[in-house]
Amino acid sequence: MKLFSTILLFVFFVVIAVSFTQQNFSPKRIAFIVPKGWPKPVYDFEKNPITEEGFALGKKLFYDARLSKDGNISCGSCHQQFAAFATYEHNLSHGIANSFTTRNAPALQNLAWTKDFMWDGGINHLDVQPLAPLTNEHEMGETVEHVIAKLKDDIAYKKLFAAAFGDEKITAKKMMQALSQFMLMMVSSNSKYDKVMRGEAEFILPEKLGYEIFQKKCVACHTEPLFTDFTYRNVGIPMDNILKDSGRMKISGDRNDSLKFRVPSLRNIALTAPYGHDGRFFDLLNVFEHYRKNMQPIFNTDPVFKNKMALSNFEIGQLKAFLYTLTDSTFIRDARFAEPGNEGNFKAPVDFHQ
Amino acid sequence: MKKIVAFIVVIFFACSAIAQKQIFTIQLHHKVGKENLSLLDKTYFNAFNEPFTVQKFRYYISNIILIDDEQKRYNFSEQYFLIDEADSATKIIQLQTNIQHVRQIQFLLGVDSIKNVSGVQEGALDPMKGMFWTWKSGYIFAKLEGQSDSSHLPSHYFTYHIGGINQNENALRVVQLNIPVTYNQSKKIIHIDANILQWFSSVHSIKIASTGYCHQPGALAVAIADNYSKMFSISK
Repeated sequence: MKLFSTILLFVFFVVIAVSFTQQNFSPKRIAFIVPKGWPKPVYDFEKNPITEEGFALGKKLFYDARLSKDGNISCGSCHQQFAAFATYEHNLSHGIANSFTTRNAPALQNLAWTKDFMWDGGINHLDVQPLAPLTNEHEMGETVEHVIAKLKDDIAYKKLFAAAFGDEKITAKKMMQALSQFMLMMVSSNSKYDKVMRGEAEFILPEKLGYEIFQKKCVACHTEPLFTDFTYRNVGIPMDNILKDSGRMKISGDRNDSLKFRVPSLRNIALTAPYGHDGRFFDLLNVFEHYRKNMQPIFNTDPVFKNKMALSNFEIGQLKAFLYTLTDSTFIRDARFAEPGNEGNFKAPVDFHQ
Repeated sequence: MKKIVAFIVVIFFACSAIAQKQIFTIQLHHKVGKENLSLLDKTYFNAFNEPFTVQKFRYYISNIILIDDEQKRYNFSEQYFLIDEADSATKIIQLQTNIQHVRQIQFLLGVDSIKNVSGVQEGALDPMKGMFWTWKSGYIFAKLEGQSDSSHLPSHYFTYHIGGINQNENALRVVQLNIPVTYNQSKKIIHIDANILQWFSSVHSIKIASTGYCHQPGALAVAIADNYSKMFSISK
C-alpha cells in the first residue's frame, strides 16, 4: 500500500508542477490596430501574435549591439528613431570594422503591409529579414549560430525568451519572431497628411496645391495611404560605377529588371535624406532635378518617363510643402520604440486611432 | 498490493504497444566513385581528371514517400532531414511507419517551395544550420565544398551552393529509387549510396577549373541540380 500512495503523491506533484509552469506562461496580447481606411496587412499575425513580452524581447534585440560581430552595431545603429528608423544624414550606413553598407538604409515603418523587403525585394518575409543585415559583412558580419550562442550565455535573455514564448530555449525562430513583433508595431499614421484625411486638420495653401500636383504626377507609383505600390521600377538612375548595383536583376536574374529598385514610401521623407537606393540624392531638390532633367532613360525605364517629367520651380516648391506634411512626429517620439534609456525623453503618444 | 503493481505493468505495456509504430530506416552512404567519402584528408578525381578534396557535403531530403508492393503510398510530408557528412547521425533517417515491404522510395532533394516563403523555420530548417540564403530568401538545397588544384579561386577552393524555387531557376528535384526484388528488407533498413562524382558529370559537364563556385539560384545551379539528382542509388 505504501507503493501505491507514493505513486499517487508523485502523480500529484507532476500535475501541480505542470499546471504551475503553464500558469506562469500567460503573455499579454497587444492588439494591432489597422488605421482607418488602410488595406489589410500582409503579415500573418496568427502565426506570430504580438505580445507585450515578445515586443519587449524584440526591442532588446533591436538595440543590442552584441548581435554584431564586433559588438558595435545594433539594428538601431542604422535605423534611428529620429530619422524614422533610417540612418540620419547618411547616404550609406556604417557596418562593422569601418565598413560601409552598399545601399541607403530605408525607414522602418508600416512593415505589416510590406510583402517583400530590401531595395531589390530579395527578402520574402519579415521574419527572415533581419538575417540579411545580421550576416552581411558590411553590416553586422555575424553568423546566426554565433548570435544564438551569445544570447544563450545571457541569463537576462533566457528570462525574456521564456516570458515571450513559454520556455527559455533560445532559437533563431523565436529571435526573428520577437524582432518582427517589435517592428510590426512601428506604424506611422499620424502625420499632418493623415490628420487632414481624417478631417482633424487642414492643409495650408501650398500643401493643398502640392497635394494636387502629387495626385497628377506622383501618386501612380507612390500610392496612398502607404505612399508606395511596392513595385520595382527603373526611373532612369544610371548605375554607380563603384557600387555596380544592378538592383532587382540580382534577385530575378531577368535582364529586364536591370537597375530596377523598390518604389520607396514617401512617409517621413523630410527625415530620411539622402535619397535613392544608394543615397546619391543629397536633398529633395536633387530628386526633383533628377526627374525633370538628369535622368537617363534606358530600354526598361518606366514609359511615363520617356520624356522625363515636366516640373516647374513653382511645382517643386508646392510639392515640397506637401511632402513635409508626411512627417509623423508622434512616431519618431513614441517611447515604445525608443532606445532603452531614452524613453524618458518622450511623452507617450496620443492614440488617434480610437 | 501485488494486484496494483500488476495492473500498472499491464497498463504500461498496453500503452507502449499502441504508441509504438515500426521504424523504417534509410541509411545513406556517401561515396566518391566506389570509395567511401572521407572529409579533408583524401584526394579524389572527377571525370575530367581534376583532383579535389571534400570539406563539406550537405543536402536536404524532404517529402519522403514509400510505396509498397500494392502501390500504397506512405507520405512523410512535414519531415525535413539535413544530411551532413560531418555528422554521421544525420545519415540515418528513421521513419515511423507500418509499411511491410518497400518497392519504391521517392523524395524531394531540397526544401519544398512553401517552406521557402513562410518565414523562419525550426529543426532541420533552422537558419542557424547555414543552409539559408539571407540576401535572397530561400534554402540552399545542397552544398559541396572543398579544395582543388584545378580551381582558380583564392586558396583553390571550390564551393557549390545549390538552391532556387522560382520559375526558370527551379533546383528542386524529385528522386525515385526502385528497390530490387531481391533486396533483403527483413531488418527494415534500406541502404542508399550518394556518389559525389555525379555532381560534375552525370548530365552536364561541370569542371572545377571553369566553374569553381555557384552561390545563387540560376542556370548554373539548375545544371548542377540536374547532375546531383542522379547521385543516388540503392546500395549493392
